[in-house]
Amino acid sequence: MFGKKRVAIVGAGLTLFRRNLKETGKELAYEASKMALDAAGMELSDIQSVVMGTAPDAFDGVHMKGEYLADGAGARNKPYVRVYVGGGTGVFTPLAGWWHVASGQFDTCLVVCEEKMSSCFPHPAYAFTTIFDNILARPLGTTLIWIFALEMHRYMHKHNIKKEQIARVAVKNKRNALDHPCAQLAANITVEDVLNSEIMCWPVQRLDISPTSDGAAALVLASEDVAKKVTDNPVWIDGVGWCIDSTIWTNRDLYYPDYVEYAARMAYKMAGIKNPPKEIDLAEPYDPFDYKELHHMEGLLLCRKGEAPKLTEEGVTARDGDLPICPSGGLLGVGNPIAAAGAMKVCEVFWQLRGEAGKRQVPGDPRTGVAQAWGDLMQYGSVIVLRR
Amino acid sequence: MSLEKITDPRRMRHWLGHMETDYRYTLGIAGERFLNEIKENARIMGARCKRCGVIYVPPKMYCEECFEKLEEWIDLGTRGEVYTYTIAYVDMDGNRLAEPVIYALITFGDAYGGLIHKLGEVKPEEVWIGMPVEAVFKPPQERKGSITDIKYFKPAQ
Repeated sequence: MFGKKRVAIVGAGLTLFRRNLKETGKELAYEASKMALDAAGMELSDIQSVVMGTAPDAFDGVHMKGEYLADGAGARNKPYVRVYVGGGTGVFTPLAGWWHVASGQFDTCLVVCEEKMSSCFPHPAYAFTTIFDNILARPLGTTLIWIFALEMHRYMHKHNIKKEQIARVAVKNKRNALDHPCAQLAANITVEDVLNSEIMCWPVQRLDISPTSDGAAALVLASEDVAKKVTDNPVWIDGVGWCIDSTIWTNRDLYYPDYVEYAARMAYKMAGIKNPPKEIDLAEPYDPFDYKELHHMEGLLLCRKGEAPKLTEEGVTARDGDLPICPSGGLLGVGNPIAAAGAMKVCEVFWQLRGEAGKRQVPGDPRTGVAQAWGDLMQYGSVIVLRR
Repeated sequence: MSLEKITDPRRMRHWLGHMETDYRYTLGIAGERFLNEIKENARIMGARCKRCGVIYVPPKMYCEECFEKLEEWIDLGTRGEVYTYTIAYVDMDGNRLAEPVIYALITFGDAYGGLIHKLGEVKPEEVWIGMPVEAVFKPPQERKGSITDIKYFKPAQ
């Protein structure tokens, strides 16, 4: 197809995710990059190109954050670009790395994602105030949480979903995160704990939401020739997809993410996947809120519309279920340094497919996994299909 | 990396800075006309695409679907319907609000999109998805050509 080259992931690195880390953004980028290179058995001099993913400049409080982070990502004197599609960045950045190598222009690409949200105080929610429409939304005092609450409520209404069903996602993911050495908010909680947590903007409660975090993640991408030289276990990027819906967020139905479906269809077509629930062994959909995991499972065509809560209740999405969803612990459990959180999901699928996920390893010798992130103003979908 | 658990970021050596910049956002071609109609005539307008037939609210200058320029403006009246809503109990800092605020997405018939706004003259437990609502405008002399010229939407009679 179009003379594309096959691209593999050959190494991954991840820092701790924490509310406040001492390291600067550059230092976080370095820690993740170095770990990914070590895992791949490669030196920085083996890297021909670098792609950086990082979300709003206002989090770190550095304008031109791409340039600021470049040296931490090992980009000095190399072809380098920063990409940014809001919350979708973490999965989009490996996609951008993919086309660097798939085009044949480079044999290797270091993909690095970073976010240091603690720089913005008292709370990075302030950095979100300027993402909304200046004319029609901001004068009303828009906050991020009530915007999500509108979507969550519509989703619940459309399919008659109970809060108890949605809370199970938070319970599952925070428990899964107990086995993740980088996790920020791992916990053994119950559905009742979620339902009794503080009501922020009904129906969103405190424990429905992922935290704000500092952290970084990195991946080493390589062409087929290089991959086969450096590892016996390459994980192939077999499908990529991305899509944006209307940027006027009120111009969407809110109960179903079409843009995720379109991105997924693009990635599945490339990967030759015809029956996603049968052919996909595990998935890491984006879960900044518990209902979003369900929303995105449906958009990824892993089940029918409105069916995700039932699958969760039945344990199908548990780590040892038929279709493990967010075995990492997700954003709800591991944490949510925006761009790094999406890349953490790609790292997780990589480790799972290599059988290197330790206590988080899903049973059944998985061969195909999907990671997805979601962003911009609630209308961007990025999807990657990995296979070993 | 540092494994220290830090709950109070002020304990770390740091430098305090701020990115203070002010902005003046133009309302734009469609936005100015839309808000001017609210200010002068207390009416909510949509813009219809003559090629697709889609009516956009809020109105846009162009059709997202086919890129036609939108020139036909339609009076949508002042009544709509609650498509979804939330009850906000906390402010940006997570502090409890004295009174909860109800925010809703309000749709207008077959028009594509809708307006987000506050609901008023109604208790949180009385709101329902699908509820007919109507715009309550500020008095003409207080209107400035802002979306807040609509005070809120209230249950329609």
